[in-house]
Amino acid sequence: MELGELAEFALREALRLGAEEAAVIAHRDISRQVRFANNEVTVTKTWDALNLYVLLAKESKLVMTALANVEPEAVGNALKDLMALLAVMKPRPDYAPLPEGPFEYEPIRGLYDERIAGMGDEAIDLVEEAINKAIEAGGKRVAGTFAFGEEEAFLLTSKGAEGRGRKTRATLVVRALADGEAAGMGVTCGTRLKDLDPASAGEEAGRLAKLSMNPRPLEPGKYDVIFGRPACAVFFDIVAGMTSAFYVDSGLSCFVGKLGQEVASELLSLYDDARLEAGLGSRPFDDEGLPTARKAIIERGVLRTLLHNSITAKRHNTSSTANAGWVVPRPWNVVVEPGDMSDEELMAEVKRGLFVNNMTYVRFQDYARGDFSAVIRDGVFLIEDGEVKGAVKGLRLSDNVLNILSSIKGLSEEAKQTAHWWMEWGSPAVVTPLVLAERIGFTVPTK
Amino acid sequence: MKDLAELAVELAVKLGADYAEARFHEDSTNMYVLRNGMPELAGFVRARGVGIRVLVDGALGFSSLNKPDKALLERRVREAISMARASARTRKKPIKFSEEKAEEASWEVKPKEPFDSVALEDKMSLLYDVDKVLTDEREVGVKVPYRLLEISESVTERYFVNSDGSRISCRVPRVLFLAMITALEPERGTEQDMVEKGASAGWEAVRAWNLVELLRDRTRALGKVLKEGVSPPKGKIDIVLGSEVVGLMVHESCGHPYEADRILGREAAQAGESFVSPDMLGQRIGSELVTVVDDPTVEGSYGYYLYDDEGVKARRRFLIKDGIINEFLHNRETAAALGVSSNAAARASGFDREPIVRMANTFMLPGDYEFEELLEDVKLGVFIKTYGEWNIDDRRFNMRFIGREAYLIEGGELKGPIRRPVLEITTPGFYGSIDALDKNLAFSAGTCGKGDPPQGVPVWFGGPNVRLRNVALGGL
Repeated sequence: MELGELAEFALREALRLGAEEAAVIAHRDISRQVRFANNEVTVTKTWDALNLYVLLAKESKLVMTALANVEPEAVGNALKDLMALLAVMKPRPDYAPLPEGPFEYEPIRGLYDERIAGMGDEAIDLVEEAINKAIEAGGKRVAGTFAFGEEEAFLLTSKGAEGRGRKTRATLVVRALADGEAAGMGVTCGTRLKDLDPASAGEEAGRLAKLSMNPRPLEPGKYDVIFGRPACAVFFDIVAGMTSAFYVDSGLSCFVGKLGQEVASELLSLYDDARLEAGLGSRPFDDEGLPTARKAIIERGVLRTLLHNSITAKRHNTSSTANAGWVVPRPWNVVVEPGDMSDEELMAEVKRGLFVNNMTYVRFQDYARGDFSAVIRDGVFLIEDGEVKGAVKGLRLSDNVLNILSSIKGLSEEAKQTAHWWMEWGSPAVVTPLVLAERIGFTVPTK
Repeated sequence: MKDLAELAVELAVKLGADYAEARFHEDSTNMYVLRNGMPELAGFVRARGVGIRVLVDGALGFSSLNKPDKALLERRVREAISMARASARTRKKPIKFSEEKAEEASWEVKPKEPFDSVALEDKMSLLYDVDKVLTDEREVGVKVPYRLLEISESVTERYFVNSDGSRISCRVPRVLFLAMITALEPERGTEQDMVEKGASAGWEAVRAWNLVELLRDRTRALGKVLKEGVSPPKGKIDIVLGSEVVGLMVHESCGHPYEADRILGREAAQAGESFVSPDMLGQRIGSELVTVVDDPTVEGSYGYYLYDDEGVKARRRFLIKDGIINEFLHNRETAAALGVSSNAAARASGFDREPIVRMANTFMLPGDYEFEELLEDVKLGVFIKTYGEWNIDDRRFNMRFIGREAYLIEGGELKGPIRRPVLEITTPGFYGSIDALDKNLAFSAGTCGKGDPPQGVPVWFGGPNVRLRNVALGGL
């Protein structure tokens, strides 16, 4: 069955079995990956997946499933099992019906490139180009992942929403290692082959790895910090993720009770933009079929909205922001509004501080307060009078999300789409400049 | 789709693969989530498919599909081979697999109470019962405004076949309980706790966990820390670490850095590498009291298996023996690279993931002290029973754990609660400071993340309560 036929079959069956409302998404994904380490390809991979996602509702009760077996009989059996599950559930006082369609979806530019969809062995050439550049720039061992592919989704709801979208994506992450702990990282990503620059990603990784050689320990304390784009991607992925109303309502967010309040420096504006041209997370409709839009999450430091689906919106007495997730609303493309300084001018603002290129392994002591620590890596340098004065080792970032947000003192003017492995809160990509924050805490081991 | 797995191997060999393997998995997972008393999610995931791996001209190719279509299978096998062949030019050294015995086996975990023998109403009721206790301030002594409770029960059925002649099938039920709890005291802020239990078993495991009592006790302790906890002492003190903390510390600082793929650099761009190098085998890393094992064969454990996802028979691995680095975790690729045999650490989280080097159940072996004896001669110290925030650098050398439930030790006795003691310590600093272990081996469950795309695999980690001498707490 084609995606459309599959979705129509599932929707029809669900309603025939007695569901009052249903949403179905038929999804096809063909992805490939070239992984490399020690300057060699370690494995090549291909995935070919067809899955069906179904949400059923009746009497203010909700159930859902994800199915890999999409043969008609298997789908029919799964829907019967869902109805049986529905029968024993308790109603939800916060239940909200699916949005009333039909809807018109404006196309988004630049989401599909046949050259990425059809790419095979030539991906290895791009990987070799990145490895060679990283070595030329000073890396000795180069590792990374080049992941690319295409996906197609067909969404149908019992409220008349009908959406179809396809897109391609590619992300090349390069990590170069020089001596010992010295490492650097570069990223290039996008939806089109022309967006990718493997040579630059390799060069940046190699250059940072070389600069990271001979690191010295530094005393713990508070430092002014310039966060590199990989670190910003991790941080703003968390910030945007924490504005999901699901996490707010679960106590897993430091934005509880903060809507309309100042939560960041007035220099910071943060957007969720599902309609970004060539954005890795761009999409014309959400999982409930609502047309998506660009919106400010934080505007000049003030928290303007949480991210909602229909149910969380009802709980908060507001409208959906078209960020469904049937359970967890989530951001699409997180966009940090750039400032007006070049990267170099931003560096010149720092009298004595740190440059932290990447932030990984972020773990919270208390999500509700925002207290966390993170491992910093891939280029951590002491800056004095605006200049890099050598690499630093042994420090751990130990601070608080709200404190970092309110300590932002500058942003550079060049924002780049960034995506990598350590973005754990689900943003497909973050478009970010460099960010300067004042007096951020760093700790060291005691033994 | 089992026949497709057989066919994939046959086809791959015919098309020129030096080695081929295929795994058919059928995974069925039911999930129930209650958030603040609201039935947030009930549903199931039914995944199935075939993952194929080939070794061609010294390069590795992987492909997976979930549609039972022979023409598609052939296309994907051909692509796995052609991509691997094209990548072979980048290899200075060809990838080889260690020689291992071809196994024919079938194994399973037989649940006493299969999941489908328990009424759905009873499963939801259990979550409501837990929630009821958490919202009763008389029961837990503190307000708990946020409660996220989840039960996830799964059955995985796997069939493995390779071109060496192995044919292995298995069936394993697993169950996981997860709770995120936020306690609030207006004058003192919030404290949060995460409670996780997991087993390879049927519903009988859930009954044995006594979740209502477990959550009541944990939340009472959390409330006490929130309301009464004081700042930890400064300067060098003795620290007693609870089993739960020790378990995660050995998982992070012994299990991960002893994964041979990290040691050889294969994970460098993601989770990272290791401070351990192959020539460190036989070197001292900690006190002679320390022995750390990883053992997939612990019955009922969350990380249980008898054959790994490369068809190698599982056994206990002694990672640290009497304080000496003894053995790494291997799959067939890393074993061949270091000239040893695989010790069956290859695991794949699903049919659509390549098997990579993973832990199963990692734990420090217990000692012979009673818990009270650990405290006896501690003049000033802290007992860190559970943890909240933790992380470790990508070479697994510099780690940090913040205590959740923690108490002052004074004059050999446990005193009042301590709020958020920070243990920030190097790996040799930790293993070298251990001077006593008690008899009480206990395990915690977790889902260990690694790989790209990420693979979460079920694990246990554990240990006894242990004592560290002369360590200063960290933080700013």
